Amino acid sequence: MRKLMLAVAAISISSAISFPAFAADYKIGVSNTVQGNGWREQMICAMRAQALVEPDVSGLIVSHRNTDSAGQLEDLNNLIAAGVDAIVLNPSNPDALNSAIDNAISKGIVVVAVDAGVTAKGAYILSNNQEKYAYLGAKWLFEKLGGSGDVVYMRGIAGVSADTDRDNGFKRALAEFSGINVVHEVFTGWQQDQGKQQIFDFLATGIHFDGVWTSGIDNVIVDAFVESGAPLVPIVGADNAGFVQYLTAVDGLEGAAVTNPGSVGGAGIALAVDILNGNAPTETTVLVDPVLWENTTADGRAVIEAAQNPNLDPEWPVSVTVPGWTDYSMDQIIACKGPSS
Amino acid sequence: MSELVRKNTWTLGLLALFLVLLAFTKTIQTNFGVSGLESLARAALPFAFATAGMAVVVIVGGIDLSVASIMAVCSVIAAVSMPVVGGVAGILIVLTLGTVMGAINGGVIVATKVPDIVVTLAMLFVWEGVALLILETPGGQASDWLQASIQGSIFIPGLPKALLVIAIVVSVVWLPIRRSQLGLSIYATGSHEIAAFRSGVSVGVTRIWAYSICGLFCGFGGLSLVSLTGIGEPVPGPYLLASVAAVVLGGVVLGGGRGGLLGPIIAVFVLRIIRTILTLAGVDPNITTIIEGTVMVSVVMLAAIFTYRGGRA
Repeated sequence: MRKLMLAVAAISISSAISFPAFAADYKIGVSNTVQGNGWREQMICAMRAQALVEPDVSGLIVSHRNTDSAGQLEDLNNLIAAGVDAIVLNPSNPDALNSAIDNAISKGIVVVAVDAGVTAKGAYILSNNQEKYAYLGAKWLFEKLGGSGDVVYMRGIAGVSADTDRDNGFKRALAEFSGINVVHEVFTGWQQDQGKQQIFDFLATGIHFDGVWTSGIDNVIVDAFVESGAPLVPIVGADNAGFVQYLTAVDGLEGAAVTNPGSVGGAGIALAVDILNGNAPTETTVLVDPVLWENTTADGRAVIEAAQNPNLDPEWPVSVTVPGWTDYSMDQIIACKGPSS
Repeated sequence: MSELVRKNTWTLGLLALFLVLLAFTKTIQTNFGVSGLESLARAALPFAFATAGMAVVVIVGGIDLSVASIMAVCSVIAAVSMPVVGGVAGILIVLTLGTVMGAINGGVIVATKVPDIVVTLAMLFVWEGVALLILETPGGQASDWLQASIQGSIFIPGLPKALLVIAIVVSVVWLPIRRSQLGLSIYATGSHEIAAFRSGVSVGVTRIWAYSICGLFCGFGGLSLVSLTGIGEPVPGPYLLASVAAVVLGGVVLGGGRGGLLGPIIAVFVLRIIRTILTLAGVDPNITTIIEGTVMVSVVMLAAIFTYRGGRA
C-alpha cells in the first residue's frame, strides 16, 4: 500500500512537471491487421512508447488482431465511435478502407497511414522509403563487387506495393552499373523457409554468382551458405536482429543491412500529434529514409555493434527509433506500455 | 403468447442480452448513437450471412468448414465481374455460383460418404485456391450503388440499411423453405437420419439442398464483403470460426435437428457489440479475444443450466 501511495505521488508529481496546464488531451486510435509478426509488434510498441512520451496524448486505443479489410473497417468505425482525435493505421489495402477513412475525416479526425498508403483524400501517409531501401543496398553490393559480376535477386511478394517500390530502386542501381548482371530472380514471399529452399536449389545448380540481394529474408540465406559449405559471397539484407547479429558473428561474411524500422509506427503517432497541433506537413506523404550498415569497415562494424541489444526480441528490426521523429528510449519501446486510457 | 415465449426462450434471452449490452455501450460512450448502430450492422453483415449458411448445414446434421473460402471466391467473382457485366448481372452470377459451390460440397459428401468435416475441410483449401486463381492480389471494383446500399439508415434514423438487408435476405430465402416440405426434411434429417429415411425423406437430396442454401448465403456474404470494401479479397477472412461460434451461441444444437436462424443472427450482433465495447473501453487487444471466448462459453453454459432447469420444472 505504501509503495502504491508512493507510486501515485510520484506519478502525480511527474505529471505535474511534464504535463503543463496547456497540454492538449488527445486520444489516439490505432488499427493493425497482422498480429504475431515481429515487425508489426515493434510497430505497435513504438506507437505505445511514442504516445507515452507525447505530453499532448492522454489515451491510446489499440485495435490489433489478424483480420481482413472488412474487419479493419469494423475496427476503424469502432475507433470513430470511441471519439478519438486521430487514427494511426497500418492499412490492409490502399482502397478498401476509404468509407471509414472518409467518415473519420468528415468528423475532423486526423488519419495517418503508416507503412503503406491509402487512396482516401485527406489522409496522411508516413512510410519507409522502399525505393531508396533497395537502391542503397543494391548500390553497396554492386560497388563491393567492383562494378562487375553476377548477382542473385531475391524479392518479396509479387504485386505488393513495397515489393514494386523496391524493384524500382534495385533497377535504378542496376542501371548505374553496366557490368552487373542478374543471374537469378525469385520471389521469396517474405517467407524464411521458402527463401532458404530457393537459395539451396540455386546453389545446387552450380551456376556461378558473386553476390546476393535479399528483400529482408536474409539470415536464412547465410544459414544456407554455411550449411551447404558454399563459399560466402557478399549478402545484403534488412536490419532484422538475426541478420545483424550474423554480420558481426559469422566468419568471412561481408554484408550490409538496410534499415526498415517497424518504429515508423511511433513516427506516425508523432506526425498525428503534429497535425493535431496545427503543424501539418506541406505534403500528405512523408517518407522515412533508410540507412545502410555494413560490416566491411571499422566504422560500419562499430555502428552495427552499437545497434545490437540482447534485450530486443530477435524478430524485431534492430533500428528501434526513427531519428527526427520518435522521442522514446530503448527501454520504453521494449516495455511496450502506452498511456493509460 | 406464452407458447411463443416458451418456444423461443433462448432467442428472446439473447435479444435481451443484446439490448443490455447496447445500453451498456451507451453508458460507456454517451455519443454512441445512430452512426454507431449503422457501423455495427455493417460489421455484422458478412458474419450474419456466414452464420445463416452455417446454421442451415448444422441443422441438417453437418458442418461446412469452407464457408469463409466460398465467401472469398464470391467476393473476387463479384469484384471482377461487376465492372464488366454490371451490378445486377454480377449479383446473379455470384449467387448462382455460390449455390453451385455449396451443391458441390453437398454432392461430394453424399456421393463419397466421407464425413462432412473432412470433405468441407478439403474444400476449404480448394475454394481458397480458386479465389487466388481468379484474383491473385486484392483488386476489382464493386458497383457504387451496391456500396451505397448498405450505408446509412432507411425510413427512420437508427434503422440501418445493413440490418434491413440481413432481415430481408434471410426471410426471403429461409422462411419459405422452412415452411415447405424441404424445411421439414432438413429438420428430420438433422434430428435422426435413419428415422427420416424410413419415413420416406430423401436424405441425400435434402443434404445437398442444405449445403446449396449455405452456398447461397455465402454468396450474399461475398457480396457484403465487396459492398463493405469496394474490392475483392482472395484471402478468406475470419468468418469460419466466428460463424460456428454464433451458431452455437444462437441455440442451434451441433449435431442437428434443433434451432433456427434468428437466434444465430442475434448472436452475431451480440458478438460484434462485445468487440465494440472492448474497443470503446480501450481494453488491451491481446486480452479482447480471451474476453470474447469467455463471454461466449459463459452464455452457453448459463443457458444450458436454465434450459435444464426449465425442462425439469
